[in-house]
Amino acid sequence: MVAGWPMGLFDKLAAWLGLKKEVNVLCLGLDNSGKTTIINRLKPSNAQTQDIVPTIGFSIEKFKTSSLSFTVFDMSGQGRYRNLWEHYYKEGQAIIFVIDSADKLRMVVAKEELDTLLNHPDIKHRRIPILFFANKMDVRDALSSVKVSQLLSLENIKDKPWHICATDALKGDGLQEGVDWLQDQIKTMRT
Amino acid sequence: MYLQVSAMSSGDSSGDGGKWLDAHYDPMAGLYTFSSCVDLAELSGDGESRLLVGDLGSGSAGMKLKVYRGTSLTSESTLLDLPSGVVAFFMDLHEPRIPAVAVASGPCIYVYKNLRPYFKFTLPSLQVNTLEQDVWQQVREGQIDPLTLKEMLESIRRKADVPLSMRSLRFLSLDPDEMDDYVQLHKQQPIRRQTVITCISTLKKSTADDDGVSCLVIGTESCDVYVLDPEAFIILSKMSLPAAPSFMDVTGQFDVEFRITVACRNGNIYILRRDSDKPKYCIELASHPVGLVRVGKNVVVGCTDESLQGFTQKGKRLWRTVLAAPITTMAAMDLPTRGFQAVLLGLANCEVQLYRDKNLLSTIKTPDVVTSICFGRYGREDGTLIMTTRAGGLIVKILKRTAVFDDRDGAPGPPQAQSIRLNVPKKTKLYVDQTLRVSGESGAAMHRAFQMDLSRLRLAAAKAYVKALESSLTPVSSSLSEPLKMNAVVQGLGPTFKLTLNVQNTAACRPVMNLAVSFLYDESLYRVKNPFLRIPLLVPGLIYPIQTFVECTSDKGIADIIKVFVLHEGRSSPLLTAHINMPVSEGLTLN
Repeated sequence: MVAGWPMGLFDKLAAWLGLKKEVNVLCLGLDNSGKTTIINRLKPSNAQTQDIVPTIGFSIEKFKTSSLSFTVFDMSGQGRYRNLWEHYYKEGQAIIFVIDSADKLRMVVAKEELDTLLNHPDIKHRRIPILFFANKMDVRDALSSVKVSQLLSLENIKDKPWHICATDALKGDGLQEGVDWLQDQIKTMRT
Repeated sequence: MYLQVSAMSSGDSSGDGGKWLDAHYDPMAGLYTFSSCVDLAELSGDGESRLLVGDLGSGSAGMKLKVYRGTSLTSESTLLDLPSGVVAFFMDLHEPRIPAVAVASGPCIYVYKNLRPYFKFTLPSLQVNTLEQDVWQQVREGQIDPLTLKEMLESIRRKADVPLSMRSLRFLSLDPDEMDDYVQLHKQQPIRRQTVITCISTLKKSTADDDGVSCLVIGTESCDVYVLDPEAFIILSKMSLPAAPSFMDVTGQFDVEFRITVACRNGNIYILRRDSDKPKYCIELASHPVGLVRVGKNVVVGCTDESLQGFTQKGKRLWRTVLAAPITTMAAMDLPTRGFQAVLLGLANCEVQLYRDKNLLSTIKTPDVVTSICFGRYGREDGTLIMTTRAGGLIVKILKRTAVFDDRDGAPGPPQAQSIRLNVPKKTKLYVDQTLRVSGESGAAMHRAFQMDLSRLRLAAAKAYVKALESSLTPVSSSLSEPLKMNAVVQGLGPTFKLTLNVQNTAACRPVMNLAVSFLYDESLYRVKNPFLRIPLLVPGLIYPIQTFVECTSDKGIADIIKVFVLHEGRSSPLLTAHINMPVSEGLTLN
């Protein structure tokens, strides 16, 4: 971290000046997994909306953490819009992949989409951090985050930093932990 | 790592070219059912489809209406009798739009709303034979005993045009010692004749919307088809068929125009339309139907002779294809978002095949024989294939978003390579000139010249052949009385050679006698030890070697021809002739 400290100094300076670095993040996952709800939760409380409707196409949301300014591409997860995802892979500097832990039936579909994502030429050879949210932990028979990572074979992702968090987007549990990890990853990536 | 390996191997073993994702397989689900008793519907208005299964249980007990959400059973309610069909349908316009469930079972339809019993519809009872009624009346008054009753009922059964009621038929099948109890138990109740439902389907009332109100359409054992009003459950329409229906497909709207395609137990398919209570068209099949599915405007029928046939809606056969195994069940695969329609076939060889028209698109291997297939939206996934197996297992597969079905995939016919253009080099000027010359200007002349030369060649060959035959220059005799064959072998280096003539009588059974061999040669070159030899009697078939010695008298190292004649005593022309090319004598040069 010795090499990191001048950067940290710059970050502090930038933060002090109110200038934060922009990061483009893609938020992906099947329909009804909670992507929009999670992004909504991460926004400042005065900007949050009350009712979440299924996203059509995609929407762009912004929120800030202590040192970074996130621009999130909240992609629609519906089957007919999933072919839009790949057009945004180039711009993305990080990926948030949301999984409905209670939907055991469609875990194979989530795995299929994840595998397609990881094998896409725009993603395959980049060391892009991936944050997994095993969402809907509040549902009674939801799978644990360990079980979800097993079913998605996350242990096979060797060339990219990844992290899985058990979350409940309705209450906001677990979200901050994930975003902190992502922020650290993006910072180490730049140094 | 184990998880990964098992997932990969199961994906490969299914042999479907990676078009389906294995979402769920529970071999112990205990679902014993057929395609007519399986349906998918959004029962709670949360956007997630549930799976409805009319479980036949063991066939005598354990009949249940089961509801699955995702991978788990969420509700079950006991059914009183075996279900013959389960359909979900919208019976009113109330919000939220939640469909009701109709379970056809025996003579009744049980309607469930929010999975609670809501209404029971019973088919109207049939006309009862008056004679039968009189007989039972007498029994009630104690005028006749069970044995007399049996005789009378049997005579009624033979003569009457109105069939007996279930009660009488049951009575006739009893042993004499059980009859008394049976009569005591039943004689007070009035006689009723009931039919049972064999198949059930739905028909949109007036709009074609997905959530439009639907009428129930039921086929009965009494060869009738009824259309029921969805709210009041009164019979809107009654149509008659020549035989009991077994499978049914309904399309259209009741108030506008509809078409009911019914496969019947007599092996025929009838097509009913709105304006008539009798079938409009009839398709006579060569063997019995085992399934009926509509694809677009056409009807696809699976038959017991392991064939799949396509018909137009007017009953004209379009195609027929032969399958690898008997069909166990059939279902339609309809993906409106992709404009894809096909037929899924469960086969007895543990395969599920997907056909678009007569082309096999894809084959799914299943761990057991599939008895029911249902394709549609399950959970939140549009392309879900749900199958139950003979052993009661439940299989759920999800169509991959990227799956593409190719018409040529696996279908017999010309291979793919045939349609690929070969990289043929450009035609040279010489080739073009030659082609022009052959095809255009001088083709006919070339052909004539060739034909003339060919004729000359044939003539020359024939002339030479005739000459050889006439002068007996051949080593084979053509005469009918002495058919002979001869070959000659020269052995030795010289100056003395051993000449062996192998003579054979090729006649079937006649021996040849009085033959002799003589030689013609240049006497300045050769000296033959015995220039004239007598041939013994030739028994048919055997080869007679006749030997003599030839001495070469010249020392110039030249060779000549020795002619051998086989002669018949008293005839001047030889029977056959052989020319022997003598080798150069090497022995003399050594001296």
